[in-house]
Amino acid sequence: MKKAIVILLLAVVGWVLVDTFFQVNFGESRLGELEQQKTVGAFYLNNTVEKLTVANVVTAIVVNYRGFDTLGEVTVLFLAAAGLGSILYRRKEEGEHDVMVLNNSSQLLQTGARLIFPAILVLGVYVFIHGHLTPGGGFQGGAIIATGFLLMFMAYKDYHVSHNVLTWVESLAGVLFVTVGIWGLISGGSFLENVLGTGVLNDLVSGGVVPIIYIAVGFKVAAELTGVLETLLNFKTKK
Amino acid sequence: MVISPVHYIALPLLAAFLIPLFAKINKELVRIIPGLVLAYLSAVSIVLMQKVVNTGQPVIETLAGWQAPWGINLVFSAFTGFLATLMTFMALLIWIYSYRFKKIDSEPAMKYYILFMMLVTGSTGIVLTGDIFNMFVFMEITAIAAYSLTAFYRDRDGAEAGFKYLLIGSFASAFVLLAILLLYTQVGTLNMAQIAERMHTVPTGMKITILVLFVTGLGIEAEMFPLNGWAPDAYSQSPGPVGATFAALVVKAGVYSLIRVIFTLFDIHGAFDFLVIMGIITLVISEFAAMKQTNLKRMLAYSSIGQMGFVLIAFGIGTKEAVFGALFLMFNHAVIKGLLFMSGSYLVYNTPSKDIKDMAGIGRKFPFMTFFFALGAFAIVGLPPFAGFWSKLYILLAAADEAMLGLVAIILMVSIVEIVYYFRVVAKLYWGKPTDNEVYHKPTFGGYISMTILAGVILLVGFYPDVITGFIDRAADTLLDKGEYISNVLPKVQELVNM
Amino acid sequence: MDPVLYNKIVSIGIYGSAIGLILIGLYAVLVKKHLTKIVIGLSIIDSGIHLLFIAVGFIKGGTAPIFSPKGIELVNQGTAMVDPVPQALVLTAIVIGFGVTAVALSLVIRLYRHQHTAKIDHIKSLKW
Repeated sequence: MKKAIVILLLAVVGWVLVDTFFQVNFGESRLGELEQQKTVGAFYLNNTVEKLTVANVVTAIVVNYRGFDTLGEVTVLFLAAAGLGSILYRRKEEGEHDVMVLNNSSQLLQTGARLIFPAILVLGVYVFIHGHLTPGGGFQGGAIIATGFLLMFMAYKDYHVSHNVLTWVESLAGVLFVTVGIWGLISGGSFLENVLGTGVLNDLVSGGVVPIIYIAVGFKVAAELTGVLETLLNFKTKK
Repeated sequence: MVISPVHYIALPLLAAFLIPLFAKINKELVRIIPGLVLAYLSAVSIVLMQKVVNTGQPVIETLAGWQAPWGINLVFSAFTGFLATLMTFMALLIWIYSYRFKKIDSEPAMKYYILFMMLVTGSTGIVLTGDIFNMFVFMEITAIAAYSLTAFYRDRDGAEAGFKYLLIGSFASAFVLLAILLLYTQVGTLNMAQIAERMHTVPTGMKITILVLFVTGLGIEAEMFPLNGWAPDAYSQSPGPVGATFAALVVKAGVYSLIRVIFTLFDIHGAFDFLVIMGIITLVISEFAAMKQTNLKRMLAYSSIGQMGFVLIAFGIGTKEAVFGALFLMFNHAVIKGLLFMSGSYLVYNTPSKDIKDMAGIGRKFPFMTFFFALGAFAIVGLPPFAGFWSKLYILLAAADEAMLGLVAIILMVSIVEIVYYFRVVAKLYWGKPTDNEVYHKPTFGGYISMTILAGVILLVGFYPDVITGFIDRAADTLLDKGEYISNVLPKVQELVNM
Repeated sequence: MDPVLYNKIVSIGIYGSAIGLILIGLYAVLVKKHLTKIVIGLSIIDSGIHLLFIAVGFIKGGTAPIFSPKGIELVNQGTAMVDPVPQALVLTAIVIGFGVTAVALSLVIRLYRHQHTAKIDHIKSLKW
């Protein structure tokens, strides 16, 4: 009975969504003439190269035009990590110690993990350093690095990341982001304003503060995701 | 560095990122820093409010150096500034109250203060931002902080309440996200002023779909019926100061977003009637539900939902007087519910069963707490000469002006219900037969200070409503004048259109 | 193949699968009894909405909005670039979705520790 009602509801929701979205033609350009800059998308495509010298327009939007959103996003992650810590907090009892997985995994996974772990870290760092040139950026790079740590957690029973280090990395990266913003406020006139020279398009050092912010975001996301994984996987047990 | 609205967001974030580092130096700093930040922001509010009142112009802050439609902007107008100031001061008082509220381990204490500060920042951000997607981001910051704080205490059913809140809240964010997506495909911009300007180009069917998605999503945050299932649990299971924050800040932000979307973004007239109807349903159902509650905090939560229904009715009437009354009620509700939650949590705290009937006679043991609670109860039901009287009066007059006599009758009837259940509690507190419970949790010094201030404000506004009506009057004007909002935010674009 | 028909089939495929994901997630949230499955349902709904974001930003024959040497060459040949804004928004939305999922999972763990069950039927105060 309940299922029938649910399926009826799903049919209604589905019909409304399909009906609405089919009014939005797929593959049609809604940007308008790029030069007229009627829409924000057109403005960004038209001006990013000239004014910001950032090759990846999505990065330019995420970090500069809508950088305030990204600050909020980073805060959401920070909050999720803090919330997790507060929700799952439990005092360690006598003789308990932290464990991630109950048993060591197979030799194969352990050796493979040790081999591939540095490569994952390097890939992650590459992705966020080149965030303004190629697809990817701080969030993606940070997520890649966190998968490397996840692999190590799965492979080794006693693998731990120091909470101290994670706290320092995420706090300093967050402080760096906000400080760059305040620097813009002081010397440029508005929060997060690009106050550095922009360089040459497609150079590694170009785009002013954009790469700096994205690197800070990369470190912060990596530290936070690793922290979240650690808190979720962690349980306390007596030997 | 000039004082600008961006301080409301940047400083708490900087402080939140720094708190884990300061915790390594001295544990006490964790508790003190949020208070310093909130005190500074209160000072910022006063300066900015003065500026807005003196110049008559909103303070508009562009971010990242991009003019309004291209970048995100913060708008501190007479309306948003009024709400932001109210929220900041309430947050400061709640901080004073929650300083050493309950002994907790230093590790959770750090998280508590970070989450509390983000709850405040998120709510203020919702009010100040001029960008619809940015509003969504702040909504989520508020929501995640709220979920975590609801589940803060281990010895209550916080996790259940938190999960329920999260489940409903996720639907809210899904709805809002879909609405923003559809809106973007139609108008090609995310700036609220520009959306408002281009709204007339959107086909009516699409407009209604978007509006329904928005109202459903934001109605959840604004505790509109039938989307408020989360509220009583979240209020009653969360720590006392957090309950006060929900009532004084989070719900206000939810109502604000709903009002902003309906008043500024859309020009559909039926939406106002819809608000009135939903407001009436919310008001009637929740006030009757409040009467049945045996748990004090759940009763306060239902009463809070009812008051929000009242606010929605007043906004729905849509005339200047009604909007004035609605804003006045929002102010009163923040102050009075803040006081009720603050004193109520100590009453609950000293009653292990948390049941109203076990609180009998507690007034003799806690004369101050009970006095504050009684004062809040008298004020919120709208007895003269307390603050709540004036807002109720203005809304009733506005309804009468519009010849909505049925509405007046309903409001008066519901007021009687309200009086019955509040007076029942107050009578029980004073004249009930005391059961001897040995638990004594004396309020902290900070608790006394903030409750005394709130009680003072209630009496002051009750006797001299003029201290606040000037600000509310400007705020109401600002909210209703949509053209001015657009031209203030988008001066350049306006020139382009005129050329 | 007729371009109009082709366009229609593609749009049914793309929008249909995104909306299908939303419906699957909704079904999981409404019907499933296990809290973890409900959380999975929520994140499936999120994924569907994210796909919709990407879909509406797409422009037929468009290329990625990156002005790399190759991208500039394509633009000079007259290729359009897809709308970058939904892609930027979806990045934010994904991260927020992650945060909510993490908090949800931690609440499930708390509930499990507390009540030793994760079935919604056994948790009284979740009924309403």
